[in-house]
Amino acid sequence: MSGDRRVQADSPAVRWALGAVVLLLPELGAVVSFLGTVSPVAVGVTAAGEAIPTLLSRETIPNQGVFVPGSGWQGPFMGLSPALAWGLRVALVYAYAGAWLAWLWYGYRLYRREYRTAGWTPRDDVIDRFRTHRWGQFGLVVVVAFFVLALFAPTLGPTTMERNVYEPFSYEITTYDADAGEIRSVTVGQANLDSISQGEPDRNVGPLSYDRYGRFHPFGTLPSGQDLFTAVAVGARISLFIGLLAISISGLLAVTLALVSAYYGGWVDLAIVLVSDATQSLPQLLVVILLSVVFSGTWIASLYSGGVLLAVIFALTGWPSLWRAIRGPAFQVAERRWVEASESFGVPPGSTMRRHVLPYIVGYLLVYGSMNLGGIIIGIAGLSFLGLGVSSPTPEWGRLVKIGQPFVTSVSWHIAVIPGLLVVIVVTGFSALGDGIRDAIDMKTDVGEETETSTAASGAGG
Amino acid sequence: MSVPVVWLGTTATFAIIRLGPLNPAAAIVGPVNSAQAQERLARIERQLGLTEPLHEQYLGYMIDLLTFDLGQSWVVFPGQETVSLLATFGPRTVWLGLWSVLIPLFVGIPLGIYAGLHPNTKRDYAASVGGIVWRAMPNFWLAVILLALLSLTDGLFFWNGWESFLVETRLVGAPDLSNLTDPTGFLRATKQVLPAAFVLGSASMGNELRLSRTAVLEIINENYVEMAEAIGVSRRRIIGKHVLRNALIPLIPIITSEAYLLVGGSVLVEVVFGINGIGTLFFEAMTAGDLPLAGSLMYVFILLTVTINIAQDLLYTAIDPRIGYEGER
Repeated sequence: MSGDRRVQADSPAVRWALGAVVLLLPELGAVVSFLGTVSPVAVGVTAAGEAIPTLLSRETIPNQGVFVPGSGWQGPFMGLSPALAWGLRVALVYAYAGAWLAWLWYGYRLYRREYRTAGWTPRDDVIDRFRTHRWGQFGLVVVVAFFVLALFAPTLGPTTMERNVYEPFSYEITTYDADAGEIRSVTVGQANLDSISQGEPDRNVGPLSYDRYGRFHPFGTLPSGQDLFTAVAVGARISLFIGLLAISISGLLAVTLALVSAYYGGWVDLAIVLVSDATQSLPQLLVVILLSVVFSGTWIASLYSGGVLLAVIFALTGWPSLWRAIRGPAFQVAERRWVEASESFGVPPGSTMRRHVLPYIVGYLLVYGSMNLGGIIIGIAGLSFLGLGVSSPTPEWGRLVKIGQPFVTSVSWHIAVIPGLLVVIVVTGFSALGDGIRDAIDMKTDVGEETETSTAASGAGG
Repeated sequence: MSVPVVWLGTTATFAIIRLGPLNPAAAIVGPVNSAQAQERLARIERQLGLTEPLHEQYLGYMIDLLTFDLGQSWVVFPGQETVSLLATFGPRTVWLGLWSVLIPLFVGIPLGIYAGLHPNTKRDYAASVGGIVWRAMPNFWLAVILLALLSLTDGLFFWNGWESFLVETRLVGAPDLSNLTDPTGFLRATKQVLPAAFVLGSASMGNELRLSRTAVLEIINENYVEMAEAIGVSRRRIIGKHVLRNALIPLIPIITSEAYLLVGGSVLVEVVFGINGIGTLFFEAMTAGDLPLAGSLMYVFILLTVTINIAQDLLYTAIDPRIGYEGER
């Protein structure tokens, strides 16, 4: 867009793109190194990305430091306390994400005002309705906050997984030794052993408190002395990854099957109904347990700590509910005149379905997908609570609850309560967002039939 | 319709267990590092019929299921017949399931009706939002928190704490179902599963709250309700006779369909509350590598869900004459 010289320099699109580039700059290093890890060809890209300074990172705004009596904190950003430095970093990350959202929204408005030829499209009404839907907006805020937590997990945590969990004895922190009156260094592993939370008042580091090495723990520590917030942030990442992958696969399956059954009807439809009924007759959680045990020894279970396997399992067991939700609407749209017309013009069935039916059922998919995602997040948490699913060093919210279970009634209540509360908030958010989109699309007038959507995201799955 | 569903479901289970990457016999034996283990592996393989060709295995498996010959347990309770295990473990799960269907009925629906009768008030919002949040709670977490709260109640609530409230029970453990006819025995068995049933029913409670609220809201705006109001029928009578009765019709099939969600959910709740029912048995069979037992249990679960589905369809046709079998879409 910006390279096209025919576009005038002061045209709104160019200005918007420039703004986007400016917004990208603070995180350019992170983006480039991420692209480097994804694409197999560019090995040097990762190193190049790491060489570019990233503004919102723990290197720029460090929160680890040592408190020296008399001269204050040494190490954290601008001499702030570690808590404030960490808070500042979190606030900046969320402000950055907010700025991107605002800029994208502004870009959409700009496009609508300056470039779109149509003065009004039905989508405008959808957006207007969503703008008055407070409950849906609450869901959107929660979901965005969860996405940001997952996306920026390494930056948001007060420490990193490498330092804290994987190789705690390979890293050192400095601490002020009050007896000797000097600064000495200690390994993270040793420090973790001194900041455990095991339910006794003298062996507990609660939420929003410091341990004796001047490390700040926003959510407290685990019984092993590791930082809970870091674990929660990384756990959010893996939950979101599994959830999104599972919902994409099952959405793809559901849409394909719904289009096929809507187009051919009759025996094909009946066969799919049969398969979906059979899938649903197997209790989902039990099949997931069965499959994850049976496949635990294979190569697919080693991909992303078993995350990929879990996503596939959830997709294979979860598509019938999505398919059921969009089958009715697909049938109704398939009976419309324009589908008939397109058939009579000799358009092949595949593209008729893609062009003339699919757009009408995407909304349904979004609504039910959002609600099912909450159910999948609960399911993953339930599985890892049982000790299955995501394998051990990788933190997962359900496993954190399991770890904290013996200490719920003690001073170390935070270990089990905080991850559980987060699951509740995130799942509520997804189902609120689903409600909001449903009301905004106004399914009643669109296809004529309203189905009850509420059973999708429920805690019964875990 | 239900016969092919059962057939497909069991075939899928067969495929997962026999064709999956995990050899059932190897899972039973564990690591094979000695000649003895090697010999045992071969023996179990022969006993399970794994050495036969696949189609014969499949045929044998299907005939066994049809004649309800569910085989035996290999690891968890070595040598015990699956059917006798079901007889010991099953009643506890059924008892738990029964209460977890009943509790939401008596809490969710009245709250929903109350919210629907006072629409858009603060209490309505509180009930509705509460229902949604309640539904979003993971069962296992709710169970952990509820256990913690109940163990903290000593001297605060329930007079002297939950364990000694009314009858003496332990917080965690299986209910004693041997003397249900005796009032104390009944009370004790009920109280034992009550927290677990409360957790297991929590999701249905939220759903029922929401659905009964919508139903009441829809019906209260119907013409016949307005008509009754106009001719001076008292409000109490309108609600009791016209609103409630009609609002409950769409709820009944939903209640049965939720009964089948409980089948899966029972695993987690039983594990947390230490109720050794079928859910715990399945979980133990899975973690111990007792695949034949797990497969048989899966068959029982499939039968259970299909039966519930059939019962739901029958209820549907019995209650609402407008619904028949031909117009299913």
